[in-house]
Amino acid sequence: MSITILTRRGLFLAAIAILLGVSALNAIAQPGGLPTNVKHTDSSPEWDQLREKLFPGRRMESAASLVQLVVPLRAAYGASVPVRIVSKLPQSEALYVKRITLLVDKNPSPVSAVLELTPGLGQADFETRLRVDEYSHIRVVSELSNGELHTDSRYVKVSGGCSAPPNRDQLHNIGKTILKLPEGIKPNEPTPLDLQVVHPNDTGFEMNQISLLYIPAHFVRAIRVTYAGRPLFDAELDFSISENPAFRFNFVPGAGGELKAEVVDSKEGRYVATLQVP
Amino acid sequence: MSRHFKCPETRAQAPATRRFNNSGTWRRLAAGIGFAAFFAMPAQAGIPAPFAPVVIQPVGAPGRAEFDLTAVLERARRENKWLYVYLGASDCPYCRKYEAFLEKNAVELVPHFSRYIVVDLRSSLSVTTDALFIRIADTSRPYVEFQKSIGDERTRTVVYPSVWLLDGKPKPLMQLPAGTGTFQTVAEQLEILRLEQ
Repeated sequence: MSITILTRRGLFLAAIAILLGVSALNAIAQPGGLPTNVKHTDSSPEWDQLREKLFPGRRMESAASLVQLVVPLRAAYGASVPVRIVSKLPQSEALYVKRITLLVDKNPSPVSAVLELTPGLGQADFETRLRVDEYSHIRVVSELSNGELHTDSRYVKVSGGCSAPPNRDQLHNIGKTILKLPEGIKPNEPTPLDLQVVHPNDTGFEMNQISLLYIPAHFVRAIRVTYAGRPLFDAELDFSISENPAFRFNFVPGAGGELKAEVVDSKEGRYVATLQVP
Repeated sequence: MSRHFKCPETRAQAPATRRFNNSGTWRRLAAGIGFAAFFAMPAQAGIPAPFAPVVIQPVGAPGRAEFDLTAVLERARRENKWLYVYLGASDCPYCRKYEAFLEKNAVELVPHFSRYIVVDLRSSLSVTTDALFIRIADTSRPYVEFQKSIGDERTRTVVYPSVWLLDGKPKPLMQLPAGTGTFQTVAEQLEILRLEQ
């Protein structure tokens, strides 16, 4: 009897299971599911809201923008998307980029960085790496000293950047901050300068794969860089900056002085790096 | 913490499996679903035949899987073609998903692969970052060193499946993402083949 029941039930259940299994597989096998036919210049519901909150009622130049964003369509990892901001005007006392806002529309916390800049940079170009959680636009808004806003955007196809398995190799070096001159000194010209902070920049969305507990957020939240006692820029940052936050930017070497980077993280950890410029 | 990465579905499925085990009915249902899924999957793991893949099996002692690209690179140089190198694992659901996508869209996609020699590296999830080696001529490099040597940013862990687009040197024609999830539509696969950045 048990055999009969098993057979009838088994056949019935197997039939359901086959239907379920096949349809489930078909559902899984459906490609896509994420919006792919999106233009780099498109808006998004998130951007519409952010724009109204951050820049209410203000006109933004995009067609003849003085800022350009360089981001690959796809990157090796969603947790480390290379981003380059290129400014199309030099920094001068008369007119300069005074603030750059970097955003990732669909990240849990979209405002990734707000940089307050000075003419001392010479050229307001920046490079860094961002976490991107899902297919999204990355945007930059440059505010000039005359109040004009210029913007550019790129759509990127990566995901998982905010919850990627964290790399815990360098916890003993946390806060180690390094300043480097990758191309040496160019007297009285914009000279590239690299700043890197060894820091996990934990988002709060990463799971410890062993304990299955979420790792609390712990990220670099502010950086100030000065040269010869004068500010180059102040950065207010969020966890959308990749682990081991790295920035490349410019400064104009003059009569020499000390380059200084002061870093503060979200647990009030404070770190400093200096570099003497002859 | 392990630096090795496997298909993430394994852990996610575990609680559901335990719940099924609480009931005979559910156990049979689970078995049936598995049975159905097994037969619904492609019969053989790997790149589908219409793409004319050059299949490379690993060699090496246990704990070491070495894939030799020497011959396909020589062929690529001889025929002035590029390589579309696919690393799949026999026990990786995401690999099956990508292969099923290729198979389903083969008629549309195959003509666009004409610039490439498709290379199918047949691995398994047990081959982790430290155990995977790539040989070119006399030099065999572990995965991380190989990636660094060609300038590929994916140096952290082996991810299954992975794709490389290489020229005959070999150098990447374009930095590709870990995994294949961002090019599993025809339009996006074509973006990759056209090297659109």
